[in-house]
Amino acid sequence: MRWGYVLHVTGLLVLVIGAALLLPLGLALLGGEAAAGPFALSAGLSIGCGLVMHLTLRREQAEVLTSREGMAIVSCGWIAAAVFGALPFRFALGLSWTDALFESVSGFTTTGSTIIADIEVLPRSLIVWRSFIQWLGGMGIIVLSIAILPFLKVGGMQLYKAEAPTPVPDRLRPHMRDTAKVLWKVYVLFTAAEAALLAAGGMGLFDAVNHALTTLPTGGFSPWNASIEHFGSLYVDLVILGFMVLAGINFSLHYRLLRGEGLAFWRDAECRFYLGLVAALVAGVAVSIHGTVYAGWGEALRYGAFQVASILTTTGYATADYDRWPDTARLLLFGCMFIGACAGSTGGGMKCLRVIVALKHCYRELYLLIHPHAVSRLKLGGRVVTEEIAHSILAFVALYVLLFAAGALLLSLSGLDLVSAAGAAATALGNTGPGFGAVGPSQTFAPLSDPAKGVLIVLMLLGRLEIYTLLILVVPEFYRK
Amino acid sequence: MRIVIVGAGEVGFHIARQLSLEEKDVVLVDDSPEAIRRVEDHLDVQTVLGSGSNPNVLREAGIRGADILLAVTDRDETNLVACLAADLLAPHTTKIARIRDESYDELAAPLREKPPHIQTIINPETEVVHTILELMSVPGAVDVGSFEGGRIKLVGIAIDARSPLAGMRLSELPGLSGPVRPLIAALVRENRLIVPRGKDRLRPGDLAYFISEEERLFDNLAFFGKRESPIRRVLIVGGGRIGLRLAARLEDKGIAAKVIEKNADRCALLAEKLGRTVVLCGDGSDQDLLQEENVRDMDLVVTVTQDEETNILTALLATRLGVGKAICKIDKFSYFPLMKAIGIEQVVSPRLSAINSILQHIRKGKVLSAMAIQGEQAEVLEAVALETSDIVGRPLRSVEFPKGAMVAAVIRDGRIILPTGESVVEPGDRVILFALRDAVPGIERLLAVKLEYF
Repeated sequence: MRWGYVLHVTGLLVLVIGAALLLPLGLALLGGEAAAGPFALSAGLSIGCGLVMHLTLRREQAEVLTSREGMAIVSCGWIAAAVFGALPFRFALGLSWTDALFESVSGFTTTGSTIIADIEVLPRSLIVWRSFIQWLGGMGIIVLSIAILPFLKVGGMQLYKAEAPTPVPDRLRPHMRDTAKVLWKVYVLFTAAEAALLAAGGMGLFDAVNHALTTLPTGGFSPWNASIEHFGSLYVDLVILGFMVLAGINFSLHYRLLRGEGLAFWRDAECRFYLGLVAALVAGVAVSIHGTVYAGWGEALRYGAFQVASILTTTGYATADYDRWPDTARLLLFGCMFIGACAGSTGGGMKCLRVIVALKHCYRELYLLIHPHAVSRLKLGGRVVTEEIAHSILAFVALYVLLFAAGALLLSLSGLDLVSAAGAAATALGNTGPGFGAVGPSQTFAPLSDPAKGVLIVLMLLGRLEIYTLLILVVPEFYRK
Repeated sequence: MRIVIVGAGEVGFHIARQLSLEEKDVVLVDDSPEAIRRVEDHLDVQTVLGSGSNPNVLREAGIRGADILLAVTDRDETNLVACLAADLLAPHTTKIARIRDESYDELAAPLREKPPHIQTIINPETEVVHTILELMSVPGAVDVGSFEGGRIKLVGIAIDARSPLAGMRLSELPGLSGPVRPLIAALVRENRLIVPRGKDRLRPGDLAYFISEEERLFDNLAFFGKRESPIRRVLIVGGGRIGLRLAARLEDKGIAAKVIEKNADRCALLAEKLGRTVVLCGDGSDQDLLQEENVRDMDLVVTVTQDEETNILTALLATRLGVGKAICKIDKFSYFPLMKAIGIEQVVSPRLSAINSILQHIRKGKVLSAMAIQGEQAEVLEAVALETSDIVGRPLRSVEFPKGAMVAAVIRDGRIILPTGESVVEPGDRVILFALRDAVPGIERLLAVKLEYF
């Protein structure tokens, strides 16, 4: 491990955050807001620290990056981004360090949980910063860095693997940098399309852009306290619903679709499963809330579909307080938090791909009990899933459940009741946003104790970096020479 | 430029690395998951798992949009079929195949004219024999490259403590010389390649690369203190394809050769195919056999058995017994840095020779010839200067070159000019450029816009 080199690259990522802070700073200056000072301070600190780290720690030129160093860079980079991204919340709003960090981590990891009770009174620049960090975190700050910074030509793949939310990363173009660029182009295109559609439907430009910035990363921050419910418009609901579902699909499929491969979604086994799952869950939730919460099928479908898409893709917008729905609907939504969206999308959770592989593996065990001498290989969409990948996926599922249980236990120690603790742990680990009970969609995370917030911060980062990349840092073997 | 490479062995791997560093789009195909994993961990290239001779795999690798197909697996059949499939799928792709079976060498022309339209056949064994002969032709050289059809040589020599130039500054050299002024293009010091400036000193242990016209070569070598007599007697250890071919070529040149080969049947075959060459059946590492055959009177020992450890040890043993020089065949690239440390300076590798040859063909149509040195850390390119070029019509010192690149020679109307900062390149001149690996894309970009290749 060359820690000097790891921190040298981390410094570069801090510089990227510093540069990103110039956007809200500009807005604050234009609007003559009082937040301009704090933003200038934050940007200055980030750029200063980034430069110091980058310039002083330049040791040896790394030709080859080991995968261990790749994971260390990504983990350090994300932690550093979260810390420097928290500065404006601390300086402009006077939040405690824990609260500021919570808000920042929730942003970058595209969780969308908030500790700010009244968002509507915030200066616009700060609202934009909340949306912007979600947007940066959604496709990934590392992927962005690979695309725009001419560094680490060779190590790009190691970094990409450590950050990408997928067990088997797709390389769309021969050069990693071109792959990263392609992904960001698709991402920008979709964001612009959503903003345009929302604005065309009568939403103000500011709200349209902010919502587009937080839908595509499946983030969930909204400039309004009541989230999407504020608009009460079927058109807005439908546009956002559509883009949430799209954001939950593997971005390489979007790329292929845009390249003219019309059946890209249909040909992909995971995508078929995901779309089918959305339909089944919507039907299940609608049946559950029809007659109990909503009188008509139309309303039940409208609110059911939006909530299902929002939680399954781990976005976290709300148009209804699902916490008051019948237990069947709540349980289905709780399950959504675990499953999550497709691998390679901006969504969180375990990802459909892993769920499919785990289920197929279970079926294979049963099959082998019936035919003890049978030779059977695990296949997905006609392709063999190697034992190695299957095992890594099963271990991931086990770790995911274990971390959820540990998180829920720690949260209950801090005084939360069973439903709230389980909901908070699941929503943080899945990068969803709202939970159940005390942290339901109409509540904030502000009343939680500092240790509880700390636990959630760790869970959110673990969830976004797909557990292994971050968890490896606490394994002693990692530091042995 | 998109290049599909079939086979992720040493040759495929190193060519892929070189080309991806030059910002070309490379797709590597191999049917071994381990080989693919190694590539993914180390290189910035796209990979496809599957057999390169399978049309579906080639299609997945994007053969349709590819400019070049390199078929460089270890199996001739796979390479041939890959070229055939590519020819059907993408007729306009240039195809280069590595084929070890020498009987195909004579079929090169029909294979080019008719399907599968393989533009070039690379035979690593042929290439390495060529390299060995070239090394032999320049006594004292560690590395030799030819340009302009052999009229210009790039020669690498080791500077030892006895060399009259050890410790001198490069800027002091011109004052010393009588008839020649050697142009030192690069130094390899502690396994790092540097482009020296006038104030740099030559140190014992350096490997110096200089450019010379063929006719001045011996003057230049003498200038560096390398006054070695031409080679007359050669001992070849290992009578495989390389050994046989080398012995046959030496016979043509009238150089006396002895071949030691372990396998009795193979010896019989060698004796049948060779004329004056002495074929000895025995172990090359057998000290008694070596002494019995008067090894100390040999000018050179070439160790080319299948086993590289045997090659290294036999070369060491022979030099201990009094052979003047040794050339050793090695395939593992990771051994290269060790060789100098244990006292073997002349190393050849069929793979490196194949890589050189392939690089040259990839650049063809753009660059006239190319050569990789020091395990691909640098390249020598030969290109034509057009009128539109920036380097034409003004002194070289005012031309902005990428860092680590220099003009090594200019050829005008068949005359070779070793340029100074004041030299002016004229349209139509051929320019030989020396570039470190990092500077190659810069040079290519500079040349692509300003100085059009053929």
